[in-house]
Amino acid sequence: MIDAIFPLEFATDDLRLLTGIIIGFGFGFVLERAGFGNARKLAGQFYLEDMTVFKVMFTAILVAMVGLYGLASLGVVDMSMVWINPTFIPAQAVGGFLLGVGFIMSGLCPGTSVVSMVSGRIDGWVTFAGIFVGIALFTLTVDWFPGLQSLYMAGSGEVSLLHEVFGIPALLLALIMVAGAVLAFVGAEKVEAIFQAKRSPVELTPPSRPRLKLAMGGSLAVLAIATLTAGSPGPEATSLPMTSMAPLSLAEDIIERQPGLVILDLRADPAAENGVPGAIAGSDPEAVMGLLAGSPEGTVVVVYDEAGAVRETPAGWPENRDYRYIEGGLEGWNAGVLTPMELWGNSMAERERVQRQNQISAFFSGAAVQSSAVAAPPPAMPSGNTGKKPKSGGC
Amino acid sequence: MKAKEYWNPYVAGVVLGLILLAAYLVAGNGLGATALPKRSLAVIGNQVAPEWTAQNTVLKSYVADGASPLRNWLVVEVVGVILGGFLGALTAGRLATKVEKGPNISVKGRLIFAAAGGVIMGFAASLARGCTSGQALSGGAGLGTGSWVFMLMVFAGGYAVARMVRRQWI
Repeated sequence: MIDAIFPLEFATDDLRLLTGIIIGFGFGFVLERAGFGNARKLAGQFYLEDMTVFKVMFTAILVAMVGLYGLASLGVVDMSMVWINPTFIPAQAVGGFLLGVGFIMSGLCPGTSVVSMVSGRIDGWVTFAGIFVGIALFTLTVDWFPGLQSLYMAGSGEVSLLHEVFGIPALLLALIMVAGAVLAFVGAEKVEAIFQAKRSPVELTPPSRPRLKLAMGGSLAVLAIATLTAGSPGPEATSLPMTSMAPLSLAEDIIERQPGLVILDLRADPAAENGVPGAIAGSDPEAVMGLLAGSPEGTVVVVYDEAGAVRETPAGWPENRDYRYIEGGLEGWNAGVLTPMELWGNSMAERERVQRQNQISAFFSGAAVQSSAVAAPPPAMPSGNTGKKPKSGGC
Repeated sequence: MKAKEYWNPYVAGVVLGLILLAAYLVAGNGLGATALPKRSLAVIGNQVAPEWTAQNTVLKSYVADGASPLRNWLVVEVVGVILGGFLGALTAGRLATKVEKGPNISVKGRLIFAAAGGVIMGFAASLARGCTSGQALSGGAGLGTGSWVFMLMVFAGGYAVARMVRRQWI
């Protein structure tokens, strides 16, 4: 097995967000070229005159499915880090049916309404506005009607995968679906030919009005800029960026008793297991604020959580301190400092470093034993998949 | 200028599939469309009623830990869709301000249907935690069981009422 390289990891969150623009650009462009900015073309699907929706959608689903699970079977994709929609059958069934109803009424779905809108179609703008109202309607009412909330929350909410339900390998299911799709595509072409003969096809060139075009482009630019500026941290966001600190260099600082060093344990439950020696529990925000406010400028403040996810200070921390986070959080500390390394196979220069690290490791293992009065040294964290599941997602 | 032909649907499907695959490989999740309006709502909620927003079943996860709701891959992706769709229409000569409708309905009637359909879809996409892009397309490719249920029900819903709104299109 080779190491999984996907999903990609990025040095900064901004870099990752930038890929969203590029991939979204491609998404919008292809939807437009497929004809999905045109409500009439999309609606044709439901009168069996124009099966483009079915053809494009299923081809895309199968290409991505085979690609994703094919690469996963090669070990290139770590599927445990890929976000797949969790299953809430009642909400998805009712929501799906309603969305289908809305789809044929407006002739667009949420994604294609965006493309229709930016192609200048007024029905696209109206649909998108309607979608916003509909979302607001659900958001406002979900907590008022117990029935709606229980419908929303019903089901396991776990990630259920279709091939696991059927008990067959993902690629086998994908293969069956490809075979089924090929037959369905042949059928779709025939159905289309029968029903299209009755009606003239959707025209390609709508009469254009250049002045409105300009206004449309201008408002789009404003929309895009507004969204981007809203997306970047605004001035009221008082979180400060922190620099990273290798666990070993923190260990050295602790051993050398670096003056003024403040170590804060920001884990949800600081008592869960042994933290970094000398760390102050950060579970009481007011106490932490008091401590930080009283520290001199330039104080080195090292924080850590479970796995190094916290890379910005909580809002409101004073400026002009040297904020750092431990790389990998407590897991990084345990793996980098508390776990002795093997000398096996290293070059001489590396051995020196490794030996130093093992001295540090012994120092802290001992220290931890003394401070916690537990006979055993802290257990080494299991290496491997310790990352959190990505939280993003939705539509 | 004569508008460019639409792409062959299968070619468009393959390209779309590769873009979806790229999203999964690069970002670790599929594509979406309603994240932008949903999360914009969280921004508005945060301004108007922060405590209510922090407790709302839908919005609370967007504002947890003081996170900026719009600082999200799916939001940026929709901004990309806006730019890509616009440039796509521009370069195809399809940029035009008009209402797409069948010959047997007035502009006003068509826009009323568009608005009503939009409201229903916004409600439905919130309830289902995703729309045709986020559930059917992305979750379908990821073999999510609930996403396949969603997708079949979208087609069921569409075909069920297509006859009733036929006048709009045919």
